[in-house]
Amino acid sequence: MLIAALVAFGLTSKAQNVLGGGQVSGNIQLDGQISRADSLIGSENVPEKLLMNARADILYTNGNFSAGLRFEAYQNPMLGFNAAYKGQGIANYFAAYNGEKLGITAGNFYDQFGNGMILRAYEDRYLGLDNSIRGFNVKYRPIEGITLKGVIGQQRVYWDYGQGIVRGLDGEINLNSVIKPFAESKTRITLGAGFVSKYEADETVPSSVPGYKLNIPQNVGAASVRMDLSHGGWGLQAEYARKGQDPNVLNDYIYHEGEALFLSASYSQKGFSANVQAKRVDNMGFKSVRSQSGEMLYINYIPAITKQHTYAFLTLYPYATQNTGEMGLTGDVMYKIKKGTVLGGKYGTDIHFNASWIAALDTTTIGGRGTEGYTATYFGTGDAYYADATVEVAKKFSSKHKLVATYGYVLFNPIVEGHAGDMHHNHVFIADYTWKINKKNVLRLEAELLESDSKYTPEVDDKRCGDWIMGLVEYNFTSNFFACFSDQYCYRDGNGANYPQLSVGYTHNATRLQLGYGKQREGIICIGGVCRQVPASNGLTFSLTHSF
Amino acid sequence: MKKLILTLAAVAMAFGMMAQNVKTVPENVDVKTLDGKTVQTSVIKNDGKPIILSFWATWCKPCNKELDAISEVYEDWQAETGVKLIAVSIDDVKSSARVKPWVNGKGWEYDVYLDANQEFKRAMNVVNVPHTFVINGKGEVVWEHTSYVDGSEAELFEVVKKAMEAASEAE
Repeated sequence: MLIAALVAFGLTSKAQNVLGGGQVSGNIQLDGQISRADSLIGSENVPEKLLMNARADILYTNGNFSAGLRFEAYQNPMLGFNAAYKGQGIANYFAAYNGEKLGITAGNFYDQFGNGMILRAYEDRYLGLDNSIRGFNVKYRPIEGITLKGVIGQQRVYWDYGQGIVRGLDGEINLNSVIKPFAESKTRITLGAGFVSKYEADETVPSSVPGYKLNIPQNVGAASVRMDLSHGGWGLQAEYARKGQDPNVLNDYIYHEGEALFLSASYSQKGFSANVQAKRVDNMGFKSVRSQSGEMLYINYIPAITKQHTYAFLTLYPYATQNTGEMGLTGDVMYKIKKGTVLGGKYGTDIHFNASWIAALDTTTIGGRGTEGYTATYFGTGDAYYADATVEVAKKFSSKHKLVATYGYVLFNPIVEGHAGDMHHNHVFIADYTWKINKKNVLRLEAELLESDSKYTPEVDDKRCGDWIMGLVEYNFTSNFFACFSDQYCYRDGNGANYPQLSVGYTHNATRLQLGYGKQREGIICIGGVCRQVPASNGLTFSLTHSF
Repeated sequence: MKKLILTLAAVAMAFGMMAQNVKTVPENVDVKTLDGKTVQTSVIKNDGKPIILSFWATWCKPCNKELDAISEVYEDWQAETGVKLIAVSIDDVKSSARVKPWVNGKGWEYDVYLDANQEFKRAMNVVNVPHTFVINGKGEVVWEHTSYVDGSEAELFEVVKKAMEAASEAE
């Protein structure tokens, strides 16, 4: 901690005396809520009345040198954030030199190898996630088209650092830059490979056989190879990763090796695009502390390939990647019906189709803790976890009127959220209408309906509801001011939950203030011209962001 | 006591240096082209003419509205001011493979880069998307704004024209 103070003081004096010039930039964010209890949405009466998360990033840059620190305060953490965040202080700091060929960062850094399947240090401030690595990161670019990286350090967990040490090497080569005759080729190829190893001291983990303890590997390695190939409108991306024996709390201490494959193929031209992705993940939960459950200390990142929806009822049952094992397919087609045709009209019509399907692996159990755990067939699948299909049609009728109509189907297996319950089918209908009254005034209306065969079962989950209806009215005066009222109501087969919410916001340049009153469900909300993740709340909320 | 020192250090650092401020775009942050090649942010150049730097994501509706709206008038804007729009996608690996077909399918004539782990976003202190910067011919940020509402591209173009005029007056 003292080092942080020294770095900060050092920088201040340097900036003013030694280096001269330079620039300071940063951003500040304050989020607060004064919440009332509501068991239906999971908000509680808190003795401190006010909950608030705050952070400020301050960045100093001078030529190739940069340094920064982040002050965070959770007094106390807002709903949905882990109580371990309670407190305040300088959470992250770093100093970096970034030249044309060489880059070195000391302190907290974020980085990703390929698609992140073996290493991804990242943050998501709205989800309370930060697995940044504190240590050293070196990047070297010997010639154009080649990037080599090396990282070493420990990962942040709330206000502390995990005892595991993460070491990694990665190399990437763009063949078109390196092989001269290939420079102008229409075929573009980038290849990459990475290796990550984790060290954590031995510990006593009892075996399933009484009186014996497990032989825990202190070093666990993971490696991946990847390629990115494109030819005109065609594109193909692939990455394959393996992980050595890694008995940990996520897989209940089995010795099954990890494996993951990601494939993406696409074709596009003006007015049309298609993309297909496939993924298979087998026991790839990779953490720098083997006994850590929960969302922190992941070394790698296995993405959910399902589409990131932003309409409220399409995100009601979101999919979460099952690192222990899953197989999935997703496809996306966008088509623009040309202007001047019968269906296209004066402005053209946009059609967007998307479908995803995710299922468990087809596994056969061998044994429990201390064994291989299970075997899995490569192409076989078990129970469905999730499936969805959406069709979105966007039509501009005139320079003032625009309608986006969406139909979505969602199949959801509650086991992906870790609780029992029947798989349920949901149909979602959405109309999103924008009326540009004149240059400065814009009105947006949104109506959503969700029809589900999910039933309210208080013993299982008191938040569940069958059928929902929602309405939203948003008024914008230029991009500076907005007011929005929305209401979501559980109208059938449920607990009658009602979420009325009024929000107003003011944006000036890079400063934004937003106030809300009412009940809010957690999720991505796009109102007033920005999109952000919000926590569940019941009462008054406020948010201030400023960049400088 | 320690905490107090740290807080003071942060505050001193912030205010001690705030005075000397012209924001520019860092040179050596890694981003990827749509073909998967790693390049540095020093590629963000436009021969002394203004640049619109827009942070966006495929899942962000206001971002797509903004980029669609500018796309319809982009040729006129370019003819009038020589402006170049550089769109930086902050889609992470959940959706970064969708960006290239997305951009081609939309027919956007912008330079697009991928910032999948958001290093460039952090370097530019972007909190939410959309976040749009106007950069003048000298590489200085002269305007920035977070949020987009139908029609507000007109205001953006006024800023671009001003940046253009200021540059030609300086010559």
